[in-house]
Amino acid sequence: MLDRPDATTLLKAMAETLSNEVLPATSGGTRHAVRVVANLCRILEREVVAGPTASEQTRQALADLLDDHADATLPDLVAKLDQALRDGDSSSATDDATFDSRVRKVILADVERRLAIDRPGYAS
Amino acid sequence: MSAKDDAELTTRLAAILPGKPEVRVTGVASLGAQRRTLFLDVIENDQTTKAVAQIAGNVLDAADIEKEARLLRGAEKAGVVVPRILGVDVEMGTIISEHVDGESIPRRILRLVEASPKLGSQLASDSGRALAMIHQIPTTEFQDLQDLTSSDRYADEMERLLESLSTPHPTFRLGVRWLRRHKLNDSLEPVVVHGDFRLGNVLASDQGITAVLDWELVHLGDPMEDVAWLCLRTWRFGADDLEVGGFGSLEELRSAYEKAGGEWRDEAFHWWTVARTLWWGLGLARQVQAYMDGDANSIVLAASGRRVVELEYDLLCLMGDA
Repeated sequence: MLDRPDATTLLKAMAETLSNEVLPATSGGTRHAVRVVANLCRILEREVVAGPTASEQTRQALADLLDDHADATLPDLVAKLDQALRDGDSSSATDDATFDSRVRKVILADVERRLAIDRPGYAS
Repeated sequence: MSAKDDAELTTRLAAILPGKPEVRVTGVASLGAQRRTLFLDVIENDQTTKAVAQIAGNVLDAADIEKEARLLRGAEKAGVVVPRILGVDVEMGTIISEHVDGESIPRRILRLVEASPKLGSQLASDSGRALAMIHQIPTTEFQDLQDLTSSDRYADEMERLLESLSTPHPTFRLGVRWLRRHKLNDSLEPVVVHGDFRLGNVLASDQGITAVLDWELVHLGDPMEDVAWLCLRTWRFGADDLEVGGFGSLEELRSAYEKAGGEWRDEAFHWWTVARTLWWGLGLARQVQAYMDGDANSIVLAASGRRVVELEYDLLCLMGDA
């Protein structure tokens, strides 16, 4: 049991307070810092809502791509993918491009989910 | 800074200038860890000239100052708009140059462009001309600069940066593989490459570009590197419809570049767009690492971590499905 207000409500309130009350009272470098922090609050607000599902979707897609067992962890899968790309056989350019194209699809879907949290509207 | 330090500084600065005029410090533009930039009034025979002093903060940066002075002179000779150098002290690591009027903050320049689209075209053609001229600076005096002309070597350099990160970045790994698979086979003479030509590093007025600044990243390379860098989405500052720096079209840039003697190569332009997007993604990832390692504590660096994904997206779009 967690207390109220919940995380999204608080993060939203923090962003609004920074933008509406603190920002107008600041200038120069401080002003920039306030903008940055307000934006980070909004990112975190979205992350609290969408983050867990986004990570799980990427985890499943990577497990499929790499033929790994269904309960492998996301950090392990990312490290494994990175290793596969590093060791990839660059002598057979065609196989290489086919593998990269499959990887690209999975990565692009993951990037779009992360963008929805970090910078909505960027991927359009 | 005490009054005594102040007096010592102005005496040192005056000694660099011909005729040892009176020097007054009128403001501080930036107080970086590497370098101080001060605004000066240089007073001689009742005439005041506005100037800018750049003072190295350490030995490494002093070497860069020497290089930068050499470059500014070479660039001026080649016809690039740069601040005229008034005096240099290599040992002290100081350049004093004339003050040039103009706006450097990208979003302010883009607001001017919004108000007057003709200025956008002007900036695009000024950029094309300036880059073509930079690429025609004779390289004989600059053989000590790092040479990143070959696409093989550049891909190796990107892999080295990638390996220096402590967390895996599969998108960037994919980028390195793409660079290798599509490597350029052009054999070309290295040219002087500015390395960071974009809004933020030029001064602009409502008439166009008034000075090309920030030569710290200059090196020898493929001219298309500079042109591609200016066209990255990240340097459009949100004005995504205008491919060149958020202010102009590719046709305007290209035609001015060619008219001023530059040779445009489409395939290389695309390769360098991918390569430079990768470089900047790695750059942001390194900022995050510095923050996570406790080497830097700026919130702006921490926030960079949430911008890396933008570069990943740009990279994936540019590489396409092959």
